[in-house]
Amino acid sequence: MSRTRQLIGALRDALGSADPRPARVPLPVIPAPPVRVYAPRPEVNPFAAVAARHTTALVGIGHVGTRYATDVVLQFQAELAVAHAAVGMELPDRWGEEHGLVPVVSRVTNHREFLLRPDLGRRLSDASLELVRHHCAKRVDVQIIVADGLSAVACMQTGKQLADLVVAQCHARGLTTGTLIAARYARVWLEDEIGQEVDAKVAMILLGERPGLGTGDGLSAYVVYGPKIGNTDGVRNMISNIHQRGIVPELAAQRLAAFAAAMIAQRKSGVELDLSALGGESSRTYREPQVRQRLVGR
Amino acid sequence: MILEPITPTVLSVRRLPNADPTLIAAYGGDPAKHTALGLVTCDQDDAMYVALDEATKHAPIDVIFAKSFYAGAAHASGRLSGEILGVIAAAEPAAIEAGLEALLRCLAHDACFYDADGKRTITVFPHVIASLGEYLSKQAGLAPGASMAYLVAPPMEATIGLDAALKAADVRAVRVVPPPTETNFACAWLTGTLDACEAAAVAYAAAVVQVAGSPTQ
Repeated sequence: MSRTRQLIGALRDALGSADPRPARVPLPVIPAPPVRVYAPRPEVNPFAAVAARHTTALVGIGHVGTRYATDVVLQFQAELAVAHAAVGMELPDRWGEEHGLVPVVSRVTNHREFLLRPDLGRRLSDASLELVRHHCAKRVDVQIIVADGLSAVACMQTGKQLADLVVAQCHARGLTTGTLIAARYARVWLEDEIGQEVDAKVAMILLGERPGLGTGDGLSAYVVYGPKIGNTDGVRNMISNIHQRGIVPELAAQRLAAFAAAMIAQRKSGVELDLSALGGESSRTYREPQVRQRLVGR
Repeated sequence: MILEPITPTVLSVRRLPNADPTLIAAYGGDPAKHTALGLVTCDQDDAMYVALDEATKHAPIDVIFAKSFYAGAAHASGRLSGEILGVIAAAEPAAIEAGLEALLRCLAHDACFYDADGKRTITVFPHVIASLGEYLSKQAGLAPGASMAYLVAPPMEATIGLDAALKAADVRAVRVVPPPTETNFACAWLTGTLDACEAAAVAYAAAVVQVAGSPTQ
């Protein structure tokens, strides 16, 4: 670099490089874009309009111009927020003891790890394993486990209630139920290890299911015959969507007890289980369509 | 933007590998010593003088001819004329090539006028030569290798600027050319230590900018 150019460049910086400033260029007046008001257009397809009355899925929602209506967007965001909040919720430490259940925990140590490591959520911690071995009834017909799963909200709301209903239904069918267990940071397959330890014929885990839009409080129940570590999902029967707006706990308890009785009678579960033997208990009866809860005003 | 470099435009570069002795003599060369010529026109005369001097430091050449044209590049006789014709001479064409290379490099990257008012209507040439070559040292009556501030500006600005430069550092004026010159600028050559020359050049440029900003203060 030329020494003179360096010197003069430094002088320019010292004087203020834009001084005297160039004349201001007047900006042209930019006309405002034309205002267009779009009226909300309801769904025109009669099939979609009817279908919308039978599902909580986002069909038949109409449009405004080329976009969704504001209330549809707000409703969607509110429902997503409910789902996020449910996933983020943790089961309190002493929830199991307070409800008279044997509290166990998986090998997971914190909530973040629970979300990231499903494998750790499928095995009991060493302390919990000791607890199961020494405090739970052995060689029972049905071992029931209440767990947080992916929605501690659902577990806290209807977990204990559903477990009690299932116990009553099992007893009505002459099945013995073991000690009720409450599991934290639990995944479905945890039922295999617990069932294996207490030598139960059938293990049944009731746990919060992965929240969908607007349903943060749904429970799922997974039932397996001959629980042992290494079972796959092919040997499990399950019921999902157990909440007040879906399958009500009373009905779910009835079906779960029927599953357990059928498994013990047929000595198998999952895809091999002959559901026709269950009779009316498992048949899919008509159910009122699930109605979307309005979370925001129109 | 003020003090933005205004790079000189080289308008023509020609070589005469074996020039006629009459021509060499007419342009101030010595036919016994010189055979090859290099000729350059450019739109900034003072940048060219500095560049010609730079060429003498890089090749065995002599500057035999360098003259500014009347009224400057804005009133040139043709589109290749610019403000000055510089002629370098040497015994062989290879020396001319080496000299032209140094000359053009200096014009492109070093010696130039600077914008003094942000509109290029007033320009200043506050150039510092750290070490003089043979050409300008002879012109200035200084030893080759001395430092020199080569200061050029329009008449009013140059006068105020020279006063500021002389007061800013321990420098001595070796040549002061009051206006008008061929191009109607005014010129001053100051010498001293390199630091003193640099301080004088900066003071000169600052004074020219100041005059350009408030001419009737």
